[in-house]
Amino acid sequence: MLGIDDPQIWLAYLLSIGSALGCIIYGLVHWNYKDPLEEN
Amino acid sequence: MASSMVLGIAVLIYLMITSYCGWLGYKHTKSTDDFMVGGRKVNPFILALSYGAAFISTSAIIGFGGYAGAFGMGILWLVFMNIFVGIFIAFVAFGSRTRRMGVNLKAVTFPELIGRRFQSRFIQGFSGLLIAIFMPIYTSGVLIGGARFMETALGIDYNTSVLIITIITAAYVIIGGLLAVMYTDAMQGALMFIGMAILMVLTYTKLGGVTEAHQALTNLAYLVPETMAQQGHTGWTSMPAFGSPIWWTLVSTIILGVGIGVLAQPQLAVRFMTVKDTTSLKRAVLSGGPFIFMMVGVAYVVGALSNVYFINTRGMLSIDVAGGNIDKIIPEYINSAMPEIFIVFFMLTLLAAAMSTLSSQFHNMGTAIGHDLYREFIMHGKIGHTISITKLGIALTIIISVILAYILPAGIIARATAIFFGLTAAAFLPMYTGAIFWKRMTKEGAIASLLVGTFSSLFWLTFVHEKEATALGISQAVFGQATLITGTWTLVDPILVATPLSVLVAIIVSLLTKPASKEHIEKCFGKTM
Repeated sequence: MLGIDDPQIWLAYLLSIGSALGCIIYGLVHWNYKDPLEEN
Repeated sequence: MASSMVLGIAVLIYLMITSYCGWLGYKHTKSTDDFMVGGRKVNPFILALSYGAAFISTSAIIGFGGYAGAFGMGILWLVFMNIFVGIFIAFVAFGSRTRRMGVNLKAVTFPELIGRRFQSRFIQGFSGLLIAIFMPIYTSGVLIGGARFMETALGIDYNTSVLIITIITAAYVIIGGLLAVMYTDAMQGALMFIGMAILMVLTYTKLGGVTEAHQALTNLAYLVPETMAQQGHTGWTSMPAFGSPIWWTLVSTIILGVGIGVLAQPQLAVRFMTVKDTTSLKRAVLSGGPFIFMMVGVAYVVGALSNVYFINTRGMLSIDVAGGNIDKIIPEYINSAMPEIFIVFFMLTLLAAAMSTLSSQFHNMGTAIGHDLYREFIMHGKIGHTISITKLGIALTIIISVILAYILPAGIIARATAIFFGLTAAAFLPMYTGAIFWKRMTKEGAIASLLVGTFSSLFWLTFVHEKEATALGISQAVFGQATLITGTWTLVDPILVATPLSVLVAIIVSLLTKPASKEHIEKCFGKTM
């Protein structure tokens, strides 16, 4: 995959991209999150 | 070498913007809280960029990028760890609790947070001492990275480069405190992001596309030098042979040591206390993840791919082009493969990367000595000469870092970083995790964990882990042999031994000792936690 034969490497490559995208999605979803403890 | 006039103008503009950000920080710094934790109202975007820029230094780009050039893409696991653990877990799980407890206990430094949670000035003082003694090793690694690039790209003498970088950074840290550090970090972070993005696009374009570039690198596996193959090197797009010396260094020292160690970095954890609410921390995840990806992901991929470029153009591997010094691989690649205008820009990127990390280290080492060690431990909370001692502390630790930058051996950047991250993981992580997640953890448990983590880690470095033990020579001098034991254990990083020991001790001693009063736990965690 992607010119890389070893699955241990392309998995790391894809996980790196995936986790960066995951951070974006998490940030957007929780953009207006209010912590109930802080609300108190 | 980049045209000196263009570079001169670029550096001047960069320094003017840096000074402006430093001045902004100075202007907004009116109290101790401002100097220490940015007044606890820092914008989430500034937090994310500042955290990322302080986290990612020349050490990551030059040192670990060079490591990728020599040993291949296995280090991409560290990219994943840096994003998942270093950003996601750090901000979401550790960040909000750290911030809340910091406010509840009015703590302004990382050692103070832990010290107050466990009602122990010893913990605060000892942690401060540990930072003051060992952070200079990491700081010198960062300095070496910045100075090596100035040496290669600008032809400025290495020793002069070290001094230039140090003096500029020290000036705005001492004047403007953490706000100046964070504002300049954010500006430098933005610059780093653009620089690394361009580097990625240019590299893949030059090598014919993503898959094509990787394929070309895969095809070079037969060129692995015999000596490296014996150590476990199997090619640049495959993991080293399982259990080989290269595998152990990669997995235990680099991927786990740096990947997990980041959670207990005092200069990073203190940033969680700078924002006003958990919402800011959650928002910061959005920019933090992609930022780290663009920094380390690009550096490691480009580092590995530099082999394809050098084979195509000079018929040599990167490590040979760099004369055997892995710290020179990235500078050599940028200088040879990139257009001149980009060399100038990348020079600024690296200067920014070095300065943003150095500034947070200087600030942290100074407060560790002035606030944690002097004011809280020695003076028992009395202010005394805290401000002068902090500034003196900054100056002293800077001098030590500079001296280390002169005397440490070549190719040390990645290792110096890993040593510090490993030590902090063993000494601080179990205690810090227990402090914010486990109400039953006691002062005695924390102290035992801190001491066992610190000394077992140092013992392993000095007497067992071959790379450091041999270089230090203490084991040889005392026992007449390079390491106390032989075989695979000498390849296992201290973090894998010292951190579990430290966790175990924390749990056992805590369960055997009297818990803190209910009132104190409520004060730390808040009533509803």
